[in-house]
Amino acid sequence: MSDMPKSGNTAALPRVSKGKRPQYFADPATDKLLSMVVTLMSELSVTRDRLDSVERLLAHHGVLDQSEVEGYRPDAEAAAAREQRRAAATARIFRILDNELNETLGPDAPRTYEELAREFAADPSERR
Amino acid sequence: MPAPAPHAMLPEVAHDEMAAQDFVATLRAHLASRVAPGVARIYEHRALPRFRAEHQRDPADRHEVRRLMSTDGYYQFWSALQRRSQEMMWESVIEPVERRHGELVERARRLAGETGCGSLRLDETLEIPRYHTAVDIHLQPGGYHSDFRADDVAAGAIYDTALPIYLGGALGARNDALGQILVGYLRARWPDIRPRRILDMGCAIGNCTLPWAEAFPDAEVHGIDVGAPVLRYAHARASALGMPVHFSQQNAEATDFADGSFDLVVSHIMLHETSAKALPRILAESHRLLAPGGLMLHLEIPRGDTPFEQFMFDWETYNNNETFAGYMTGLDLPALACRAGFQTEYCRIERGGMDMETGQKNYGDHEFTFPILVGEKPQAVSASARA
Repeated sequence: MSDMPKSGNTAALPRVSKGKRPQYFADPATDKLLSMVVTLMSELSVTRDRLDSVERLLAHHGVLDQSEVEGYRPDAEAAAAREQRRAAATARIFRILDNELNETLGPDAPRTYEELAREFAADPSERR
Repeated sequence: MPAPAPHAMLPEVAHDEMAAQDFVATLRAHLASRVAPGVARIYEHRALPRFRAEHQRDPADRHEVRRLMSTDGYYQFWSALQRRSQEMMWESVIEPVERRHGELVERARRLAGETGCGSLRLDETLEIPRYHTAVDIHLQPGGYHSDFRADDVAAGAIYDTALPIYLGGALGARNDALGQILVGYLRARWPDIRPRRILDMGCAIGNCTLPWAEAFPDAEVHGIDVGAPVLRYAHARASALGMPVHFSQQNAEATDFADGSFDLVVSHIMLHETSAKALPRILAESHRLLAPGGLMLHLEIPRGDTPFEQFMFDWETYNNNETFAGYMTGLDLPALACRAGFQTEYCRIERGGMDMETGQKNYGDHEFTFPILVGEKPQAVSASARA
């Protein structure tokens, strides 16, 4: 993620915890793919934050300087705007879960295609 | 996410590292506020009716709820995402700590040496209990106890940086909210108490130890833990904040303090990270260490009341390497404390509160309070006076 040079002599720290990772879906490939998707979300979020820094700095100075971007920290207003954008993007990506809730519980929960097919194919004379 | 208050041991975080941490915080807030509440609704409206139709009754306990929910597609997604968010939290803080690893070790040496207050006593011969080594507790790679270089402090720096992400800043700028809750509880219940010596068991980076030193500046405050890297970090962190605390590497099951050494023995969400063998020993040790008139206060994580709530709190047991937490469900802690030496009329569960926004609650909508196991050791009185 960060391409900055590492300071001093470094020993690699482990990234994986000890203990068996649970399987969440019937197909383990789904587990792996979901992991990758969320990590991709993070990468995209990081890139977008960085771009945001660049844009704000450009607007402010009209000059692009790499070290300035590195040192830039959002003020309260910018941080709040970022939080809002991140939350919105996260909500978009996980909207599929809202869909499941709505389909199961919502007031306009759609019926199955079989139900609809039966409804539309029914003889109108038999309905009131 | 509210920014943590900087101190000299907190690792500086580069632009993109901060952005990655911010993302994990956003992800966790979304899961807690938007996805987890859906699990409760799915249970009520989809899974439970299915179970009732099949068995003509409700699930009897959290295990039945878990077996039922494990095949539910919505729950599977929440659970898999919650797990991934925990893994990514650690990844996002390990990166900056690794990059400044050498510098952090140097800084800790300097702080402990030059401006060091309190003390640090490590014991290389201490056997790390199996409940720490079998799996990495709450998925922190290497746990609290692994050293990756001489005089390592990485585990402490990683833990300190992760806590604000874990609960979206709900633990406060100094990650000390649970310590503040317990101090507040003590002050409200025993306004006149003036403890001379205080012991915090399983103190890790001392984040919840410092509120005790702050609240009782005349008291001698001790913190013990089995992990050397978190203790080195704790000592340097406390020194950076100018708080004199005596840290030592000890197992709370059997410490080297003399009988009756402390007026207060406390812990903050430590008991559920032990074992069925260790827990009674820790309570017995708490009793042994208390002076007459002393108080034991162990703050714990709630475990829920209904089978569904208990199943949700139990998620940590099966998915977050809190392998002992499930055993604590419905456990009669006061009864255990009595078997450990406390008298029945002097131990009980009370509750300490915390203001939490919905976005920070993972498993429940109700007001978030923590159970506190209270044990009082009465002033020595003669048997005839008691009778």
